[in-house]
Amino acid sequence: MSHPNQLETVGVPVAQVGAMARVLGEQPYPCDLAAAGLLHAAVLRSPHAHARIRSISTELAAQQPGVAVVATAADLDGPHTRFGVRVRDQPVLASGVVRHVGEPVAAIAAATPQQALAALAFIQVEYEVLAPVPTIAAALAADAPALFPEASATSLPVYGPGAAACAEPSPNILWEFTLRDPTFDAVWAGAAQVFEDRYSFARASHYHLEPFACLARWSGEGLSIDTCNQDPFLLRQDLARIFALPEHRVRVAAHATGAGFGAKSYCKLEPLAALLARLARRPVRLVSSFDEEMLSVTQHGAEIVVRTALSRDGAPLAREMLIDLDGGAYADASALVADKAGYRGFGPYRWQAVACRVRVVRTTTAPAGSYRGFGGTQTSWAGERQIDSLCRRLALDPIAWRRAHLLRVGEAWWPGEAGMDSDLSGGLAAVVAALDPPAAPHAARPRGVGVAIGLKDGGGEARPANAAVRLTADGTAIVQAGVVEIGQGATTALAQVAAERLGLPLDRVTVAAVDTDLSPHDLGTHASSGMAVTAAAVAAAADDVVAQLRALAGRAEAVVHAGTVEGEPVASLLKRRFGPYGADVIGRATVQAPRSEGLPLRSQRLYWMPSWAAAEVEVDPLTGQVRVLQLVVAGDPGTAVNVLGCIGQVEGAAVQGLGQALFEHLRVDSAGQPLNATPWSYRAPRATDLPPVFRTLILESGLGPGPFGAKGIGESGNLAIPAAIANAIEAATGAALTSLPLTPEAVFRALHVDS
Amino acid sequence: MTQLVLNGRAVTAPADPQLLLGLWLRDSQGLTGLKLACDQGVCGACTVLVNDQPMGACHLFVWQVEGQRVETIESLGSPTRLHPLQQAFHDHGALQCGFCTPGMILAALALLRVNPHPTREEVQAALSGNLCRCTGYRPIIDAVLAAAEAMAESPP
Repeated sequence: MSHPNQLETVGVPVAQVGAMARVLGEQPYPCDLAAAGLLHAAVLRSPHAHARIRSISTELAAQQPGVAVVATAADLDGPHTRFGVRVRDQPVLASGVVRHVGEPVAAIAAATPQQALAALAFIQVEYEVLAPVPTIAAALAADAPALFPEASATSLPVYGPGAAACAEPSPNILWEFTLRDPTFDAVWAGAAQVFEDRYSFARASHYHLEPFACLARWSGEGLSIDTCNQDPFLLRQDLARIFALPEHRVRVAAHATGAGFGAKSYCKLEPLAALLARLARRPVRLVSSFDEEMLSVTQHGAEIVVRTALSRDGAPLAREMLIDLDGGAYADASALVADKAGYRGFGPYRWQAVACRVRVVRTTTAPAGSYRGFGGTQTSWAGERQIDSLCRRLALDPIAWRRAHLLRVGEAWWPGEAGMDSDLSGGLAAVVAALDPPAAPHAARPRGVGVAIGLKDGGGEARPANAAVRLTADGTAIVQAGVVEIGQGATTALAQVAAERLGLPLDRVTVAAVDTDLSPHDLGTHASSGMAVTAAAVAAAADDVVAQLRALAGRAEAVVHAGTVEGEPVASLLKRRFGPYGADVIGRATVQAPRSEGLPLRSQRLYWMPSWAAAEVEVDPLTGQVRVLQLVVAGDPGTAVNVLGCIGQVEGAAVQGLGQALFEHLRVDSAGQPLNATPWSYRAPRATDLPPVFRTLILESGLGPGPFGAKGIGESGNLAIPAAIANAIEAATGAALTSLPLTPEAVFRALHVDS
Repeated sequence: MTQLVLNGRAVTAPADPQLLLGLWLRDSQGLTGLKLACDQGVCGACTVLVNDQPMGACHLFVWQVEGQRVETIESLGSPTRLHPLQQAFHDHGALQCGFCTPGMILAALALLRVNPHPTREEVQAALSGNLCRCTGYRPIIDAVLAAAEAMAESPP
C-alpha cells in the first residue's frame, strides 16, 4: 500500500508456501501427531442400515490387553450432545437406534491401534433390525418408517421476502427451502412453450487421501483438540456445548491437512475423541480408516425436476427447480446445502422470474454434507443438461442460445441481488476456441462437442472475519488468520496479499497455524470465501501495520517499502522507538459484508463463481464407452493472486468433475448396504484418465470483491463438467442422458433400449 | 530378526510375523514422510522403493523385505539440496495438500531409474498406482518430465 501502483507479489506465480516441507516429506499432518501417554482409538460401527440397539455389553472388551476405556452412548447423551448445522440430530455415539451402516456405536481407547481394533470384536451389541430406507423414493413413500419420530433442536435463520424454510416438516424430511418470485406465476402464464425434465445426480465420495484424524487431551478444566477440521471456531462452539464448557476452556488447533473437499467441515468425530480422552484421563488419537471415512460423510445425491418457460422466439422467461437432496441419516450441513442449491441453482441466464422448492430427504445411508460445489454441482448438472436438450428439441444451437441469453456483467435475475461479475459469454467463447479443431468424423464411433456453464455463488456474504498481521522487530511479518490450509492454497495467497500491502518480499512473510486460543476469529474456509473475505481482513490488517509504522516515523505520507520506512530499515526504526530489542507492531482488522434486508437471504451474494467447460467426446455405440478426447475448463479468480494456485484449483476440480461425470457413484443396495464404499471398489480418477487434450484457462475479470479485485475459484472447476460431457454425448449420438454417472451401461441403454 | 538396508544404512527389525512395513517405518523409525491413506494398496501414498521397485508399505510385512534395500522420501534431498524430482514438484505446483507427494515422488523416481527419458504416456502409466485427488495430475506429470530433463543434464 506503500508505494508503487504496480504489484510486486500479487499476480506473480509462486510455488505454494509449504511446498518445501511437503516435497521433503516433513509436513506434519494430524495423523502424525503424538503425545506422551497417547492412547489410540477404534470405533465400533453399525453393520445395519437401520436397527434398534437392544443392548450393548462392554465388559469383555474392557478386559482386553491394552484397553483403557470403552465408551457408549451411556457415557455421553442428551439433546445438548447432538450436533448438525441448523438441525442438531446427530449423536456422538448411536443412542437407541442406528440409522446408517458405519454409524459409530461404541469406541475403545487402547495403548496401541492394534489393541484397540482387536478389542472391538469383544463388544457385544444386540440389534433389532428395522426396515431400511435406502432411497429418496423409499423415504417419501406413504408407508415409510419414520426415521426421527421426535423433533430435533433446530435454529432457523431469518429469511427476507420471497424465501422461506422449514425444519423437519415431516419425520423423513430434514429441511425444506422455497424461493418464489412474486411475479413467477404471471411470467409463467405468458410462456409460449414450457419444458419439464427430470434429472438424477449420483452421490460421490470425497475420497480425500488423509482420513479423519484428531488428537484430544484434557488438562485441568479444559479440552484441547488438534484436528484436521477446517472450521475450528465453529467446532469450538459445538465442543463447548457438548461438554458444557465455556469457549475459553476449549482449544482447537487446526493443522494443515491431507485434503477434504468438504468432508472435514463442521463437527465430525472430535467429540468422540474428547469423550474417550476424558474417560481415560489420557490423550487419545482417533484416526479413521479410509473405509470408515467413506461411510462418515458423502456428497448429496439428488433428484431434480427442471421446469423452464421460454418465449415464442426461445428467450428465457422463467425457471422452477424442484430439488430433492438425499441427505442421508443425519443433518450435517444439509440445510445450508439446500438453501444454496435452491437459491442460485437456476443457471446464469436472463430469467424474468424464478422459483424453487428444495427438500432434504432423510435416508438410512451415510450422512451427506459439504462437498466441493455445495449444491451447485447438482443444479448445474440438471440445469445445463436441460438447456441442451431443449435447444435440440427447438433445433437451436446450444452455444448460440447460451451466448444470446447469458447474464451480462452487472445483470441479476433477482432484483437487488448482486450483478454478474464475470464475462460469461466471453468465457464460453474462450473455452470453445481453446478446443483443437475436431478430428475427421469417425465412421463407427460418433463424436460431438458439448459445453456447459456451471454456477454457484462464492460464500462469505455477511461473514465476519478478523485478521492480524504482526511485524516483528527484524522487519519480517507473521499473518494470523483463521483459514485452515487444506491444500487450497490459502496460506500462499494470504502471504502474498500481506507481502504486497506491506511492501515486503514474499519470503519475509509467514502465515501462522490456526489455533482458536491465538488466531483471530474466522468462520472457516468455506465456499471459496478465503480470498473474498479473509484476504480482505488480512489486507486491512497489513494496512494498519503500515499506518502504525508511519506514525512511528512521524510522517503520515512516509513511503513504506522493501522493509524500510522512508529509507530507514524497519528494524532500525523499531529499535529507535522501543529500545535495543525493538518490538512487534501488530495490525488488526475486522471485515464483514453488509446485509441487504430486502433480499431473500438478507444479503447480496458476495460474488459469482462461474465454471465454463467444453468437451469433445467419442462414443462407441457397440459398448456405450465414452472417451473424452478434449476437455477445456475455465474459471475466473477476479484477479489471480497466484495463477499457479488458480490453475491447480480449477484443474484439480475438473478432474473430480470428470470422475463424477464418468464413473464415480457411491452405491447402496435395497437393504441400505453400501456396495462400493471401499477404496478398492470405488473408482476415483487416475493419471491415466486424463483426456488427451486437457486445458485450463484462467480468465481474470478483475471484478472480485476481495483485495486487488480477487475472488474465490476453488469450486469453479467441477460444476460444469458432467453436463458438458453429457451434452457432448447428446451432440454426438442424440442420446439424451438424464442420470449420472455416464457409464457404458447407461450410454448403451440410452442408445439402444430407451430410444 | 529381519535385516534390511534402510535409506543406505543396515538396520534390524523385530521378527514379528505380523509387523507391517509401513507401521514399522512410521512408528519405530520415525519416517513419517510415508503416509497411510487407503491402507489397502490402492492409493500409493505409502509408496517406498524396495530394491528400486515402487511398493506399498501398507501391505508389506517387514519380513518380506529381508535383505533388501528400502528407500523412503527421507533419503532423497534436504532443504538446501532438493532432489531434482522434489525441486520439480515444488516449482511446478505439483502438489496441493501434499499427502500423496512423497509416494508420488518415489514412484516417479522408480520410473526414471529404469527409463530416464519417459514419454508423457509412460509417466502417466507409471503413476497410475498413485492417487492424487487435489491436482488433477497434469502438473505432476509435467514435474516428472522436467525432472527427467534436469537429471539428464546433471545427475543427482
